[in-house]
Amino acid sequence: MRLGLLILFGVFAAILSLSIGALPIPLADLTPALFGRGDDIHITIMQDLRAPRTLLALVIGAGLGASGAALQGYTRNPLADPGILGFSATAALGAVLALYFGHRLWITPAALAGAGIGAALLLAMAGRRQSATVLILAGVGIGSLATALTGLLMNFAPNPWALSEIVYWLMGSLKNASYDGAVISGSLTLTGLLLLFWIGPDLRALSLGEDTAKSLGVPLGRLRVFLVLGVALCVGAGVAVAGAIGFIGLFIPHILRAIFGPDPARLIPLSALGGAGFLALADSLTRVLSVNGTVMYLGILSALIGAPFFIWLAFRAGRS
Amino acid sequence: MSLQIKNLCAGYGDMPVLQNINGAAKPGELIGLLGPNGSGKSCLLKAIAGLITPTSGHVMLSNKAVPSLPPKTQAKSIAWLAQDRSAAWALSVRELVALGRAPYRGRLGRFSHADTQAIDGAMSSAYCVDLQDRRFDTLSGGEQARVLLARALAVGAPLLLADEPTASLDPYYQISILQSLANEAKSGKTVIASLHDLNLARQFCDRVWVMQKGKLVADAAPQKALSASLLADVFRIQTKNGFSVQIPEKN
Repeated sequence: MRLGLLILFGVFAAILSLSIGALPIPLADLTPALFGRGDDIHITIMQDLRAPRTLLALVIGAGLGASGAALQGYTRNPLADPGILGFSATAALGAVLALYFGHRLWITPAALAGAGIGAALLLAMAGRRQSATVLILAGVGIGSLATALTGLLMNFAPNPWALSEIVYWLMGSLKNASYDGAVISGSLTLTGLLLLFWIGPDLRALSLGEDTAKSLGVPLGRLRVFLVLGVALCVGAGVAVAGAIGFIGLFIPHILRAIFGPDPARLIPLSALGGAGFLALADSLTRVLSVNGTVMYLGILSALIGAPFFIWLAFRAGRS
Repeated sequence: MSLQIKNLCAGYGDMPVLQNINGAAKPGELIGLLGPNGSGKSCLLKAIAGLITPTSGHVMLSNKAVPSLPPKTQAKSIAWLAQDRSAAWALSVRELVALGRAPYRGRLGRFSHADTQAIDGAMSSAYCVDLQDRRFDTLSGGEQARVLLARALAVGAPLLLADEPTASLDPYYQISILQSLANEAKSGKTVIASLHDLNLARQFCDRVWVMQKGKLVADAAPQKALSASLLADVFRIQTKNGFSVQIPEKN
């Protein structure tokens, strides 16, 4: 029943995302236009603009939701967020470098390279042998350095236009979604999701601590490598095509834990589903709220929705 | 499953703790691992469990070195009950006990009939069937100890290692836990439990291993091992008028 409602939410968010835009398209014409039938303008809008955008929102949301659930399971802390491993910051640094030098076409590969370098650094510093604490400390350190370097690039931006481009990009958006982006982001996120789904049962065994997990046959070194690679792929693929979008990885697993229970292995796919639906819904809202030529950015809106919800959860937890 | 420990040296990181430990345990035995704080009891249990790598020497299970066993085989052969009683999430008691079946469950996490039977049997052996629908974080310390013991029993391993399973429990729960461990030994398992209560060790254990400063200084039946001279030497206590008292430290 609860799972059915979550799937229904995802489907509803996807349909809403396909149906909202500057040009109203009747609901009955959406599916035919998607498959190349009906009005030519409707077909172009559906196939070239809305479908890749919806697909990207679902994919990126799924990656961020699952990453958050996996990290919370690994750290055994409900306040962990995909950002703590530093990949969103290193991917953003890569993209900002491309913008700084005026190479817009290089944004996606540079961001992916940033996430990859971040993952390689983290594995080199806190790979197979270290504890969860060392992994988190190294991740926070790498992320902070990348954020500082991003700030430095903004500080020395060659001109005001480059600076404004960087600032807008950092707010996160799917307005430049394309099939190419969806294919790149989708395939990388899917690989990341498979890695995270794979380690789910190991994270469940980790509920009683590292020693007990090891005694139950969990290979802690491999778990850490799969976690780092899975989160790097999901977060890197998201930042590379949509910019910085925070908060989803933090509060989606949190809400779903209250509904479906705390089992980390189940929460990863559930959070992927919830994150996909949430990001598609939030992206639809950005299109409704983008009026008079002012674009509402997805990163801003997801934080605006997520933060009060989180405050409410904290308030409720405090009262109970 | 017989256990042999040969010339075992191990420690935490660069700090050596265990010095040349030798010992053996047979199926059906409950061995009490005794010794003052810091004597190396937990380190020995972790080395037997394969949680820390020995610097030299061997731990053999049925003549096979523990580190050479594949992780799943090792997990099915040695059940580990940690001293720490914290659980990260508000799992139900049944969910928590089911964690003991992790070595048997596939990636999809389905329970087989054998898993369900093992979980029910473990909860019954640890006297916590009536708690199965409660959340672990709402239980008392004694109830949590029983549930965590059930989690270790659910593994169904022939060797059970328990690190201070009765720590900070009232006498009722201490006896209850030791009764469960004694029953497991009677059923043919090898059980090694580190304990601080020497009277309980006398009452329940078939044999005691006494540790002092990383060395195994006694390996015998409790009545024989826990002599007045050993109590004075290892634990720095003596009996006066039926009460245990400290031996004053020398300046």
